[in-house]
Amino acid sequence: MRELTYAEAIREALRNALIKNPKVFLIGEDIGAYGGAFKITNGFLEEFGPERVRDTPISEAAIVGAAIGAALMGLKPIAEIMYMDFIPICLEQLANQAAKIRFMSGGKLKVPIIVRTQYSLGRAHGAQHSQFLPAWFFQVPGLKVVLPSTPYDAKGLLNQALKEENPVLYIECSLLYRVKGPVPEEEYSIPFGKADIKKEGEDVTVVAISRMVHEALAAAKTLEENGLSVEVIDPRTIQPLDIETIVNSVKKTGRVVIAEDDHKTGGIGAEIAASIIENAFDYLDAPITRVASPDIPIPFSPQLELEYMPNKNKLIQAINSIFKG
Amino acid sequence: MHKIIIPRFDPAMKTGRIIKWLKSEGETVNKGEPLLIVEGEKTVFEVEAPANGILKKILYQAGSEVEVLKPIALIGEANEPIPQELIEEIEEKVKSEIKAEIIEKPKIEKPFIKTVERVKASPLAKKLAEEYGINIEEIKGTGPGGRITKEDVLNAIKKASLKPTFAEASISGLKPIPIAKTIPLSRIRKTIAERLVYSLHKAASTTIITSVNLENLLKYREEIKSSLSEVSLTAFIVKATAKALEAHPIFNSTLNEEEIKIFEDINIALAIHTEDGLVTPVIKNANKKSIIEISNEIKELTNKAFQRKLSIDELTGGTFTITNLGAYDVELFIPIINPPQTGILGVGKIEKKPIVINDQILIKPTVALTLVFDHRVVDGVPAVKFLQEIKHFLEDPKELN
Repeated sequence: MRELTYAEAIREALRNALIKNPKVFLIGEDIGAYGGAFKITNGFLEEFGPERVRDTPISEAAIVGAAIGAALMGLKPIAEIMYMDFIPICLEQLANQAAKIRFMSGGKLKVPIIVRTQYSLGRAHGAQHSQFLPAWFFQVPGLKVVLPSTPYDAKGLLNQALKEENPVLYIECSLLYRVKGPVPEEEYSIPFGKADIKKEGEDVTVVAISRMVHEALAAAKTLEENGLSVEVIDPRTIQPLDIETIVNSVKKTGRVVIAEDDHKTGGIGAEIAASIIENAFDYLDAPITRVASPDIPIPFSPQLELEYMPNKNKLIQAINSIFKG
Repeated sequence: MHKIIIPRFDPAMKTGRIIKWLKSEGETVNKGEPLLIVEGEKTVFEVEAPANGILKKILYQAGSEVEVLKPIALIGEANEPIPQELIEEIEEKVKSEIKAEIIEKPKIEKPFIKTVERVKASPLAKKLAEEYGINIEEIKGTGPGGRITKEDVLNAIKKASLKPTFAEASISGLKPIPIAKTIPLSRIRKTIAERLVYSLHKAASTTIITSVNLENLLKYREEIKSSLSEVSLTAFIVKATAKALEAHPIFNSTLNEEEIKIFEDINIALAIHTEDGLVTPVIKNANKKSIIEISNEIKELTNKAFQRKLSIDELTGGTFTITNLGAYDVELFIPIINPPQTGILGVGKIEKKPIVINDQILIKPTVALTLVFDHRVVDGVPAVKFLQEIKHFLEDPKELN
């Protein structure tokens, strides 16, 4: 199968949607003339014109607010928030409007928007341009929260988001944009709420989110050379969360480590850990351990940021700590 | 109001386990209708409703192990109140259950409330230890911080199952014998084990052996075969033994503390090997039945045994046991007394052998009979006489009918 980068896979899904569905349009900062901060939408303005690839002023509230209005009128907007750190500015639109309107109108109104955003941890972008904040949103009923980790998942999940009738928060990872992987040319979609076992194993389950899937696979490779068999599970969507696949894996291995770029306190890992305890307590042979970001603002210094970030070695350490006395 | 009790299926049975209730509280039941399924020591049985009425109250749920003769449910009329004494009985039971819970709880929680030396164990390790009945406090944890893990419990289980074998008791320095597979005892295996060890420890088992010339019997069997269906050799041996027991009733008895109790009926239990294990269905009043009747009954019981369909009635009440390994090419063997009985007769295979009759060596079909009896009950010479009586009937089978 041909290989695409994560960025190319997203770009392909967006472009196909623009070609196929006249109701689809993109809206965001610098997505048109500049081609997108990460060049995902480069050339789209020329190809599809300013009606469908709309540059906006620097106002996230306006971007999502306009998208919601267009969706209510029957369009399929794909809004882009350049950095996840800017989402607090449109929190009202996202959490109080987009997520609630369908419920509050008794199902008469729908807000099928997609809000694409990305997090840039590991690029020395500083405390306000590096944050990974999915836990803020998977707690909001009415929003779907999607976290692709591979080019294949990126295209399949975006295609699924295009079919959804509810608001979807689609969170990309800028460190993954250059990661390559097989992507079918044909259209396919990956259902939400279906975790993917990225690698099968027997001794310990690692539930890894987004970028950490790759760190987990690298850690698994190293540990496997030392005789420890690691299963790596990628939930792919955290709202809805496929706890069944995780629990089945824990029933097999008895041990689980959760790997996430999230802050440890109140992060996705905390929720997954609690769900495992509720569903598989008697199968646990070791405490559930989390490898996450510390509870401090992300340092600007590249050296400090590297220390701050969860990675393969921290994951190996955590796994070893639940095995060795 | 009728009480339903756990019936005693077998003299040795102490408890029964309720497998399943077939009726629920408030349901109408008819006399004779199956109410529940109970597992006795050797087989699973249905307990029938003793009367028509409504199943008013179930006292023990499925899974409960209940002493025999204890009430487990009540049947009554729709508006019939539960009598006061039964209410008290139920309350007594509930109280004792609560008490049992209180007594048991700290035992389970012990590892958790100990402040000085808390036992650290993973949930999986605790669950496994509980399932295998292993005291988690005796296990040494090798996990982080001395935590007991699944592996530690599995090692302890492995060790525990080694204990009774020579492997564990071996002279130090010798490697333990590796175990290929550990098989938990089934209920029937457990019963067999308990009863036979009891027999070995309690009875003063003594063995005498004799050889029987079967020439006449085989001829006689051919004669009656032509007129009727085939008759098994075992049927002859059952009948001969039953007749001999009439004349030697001391072997049809049980020793109970300081008394020997002679049974009124002569009921011959017959050892039958099935996939599940050994069962011993009973031919009641064998001394009063014809050989043909006995032979047919043996066929029927054997079929039922293979299909696991023997009833309580067919499995209980034996007063003397016969075990025949002739079909398995065994010359002679020494069986073990089936408690609480006093004797057992082992039958080998029919074999042509040179025997001396009137100073002439002749080849005759013979069979070896082994009588094992409890010497506490009776001495050697009477045992010899009893065995000779059986031999006499087999060598002169016309006297049997």
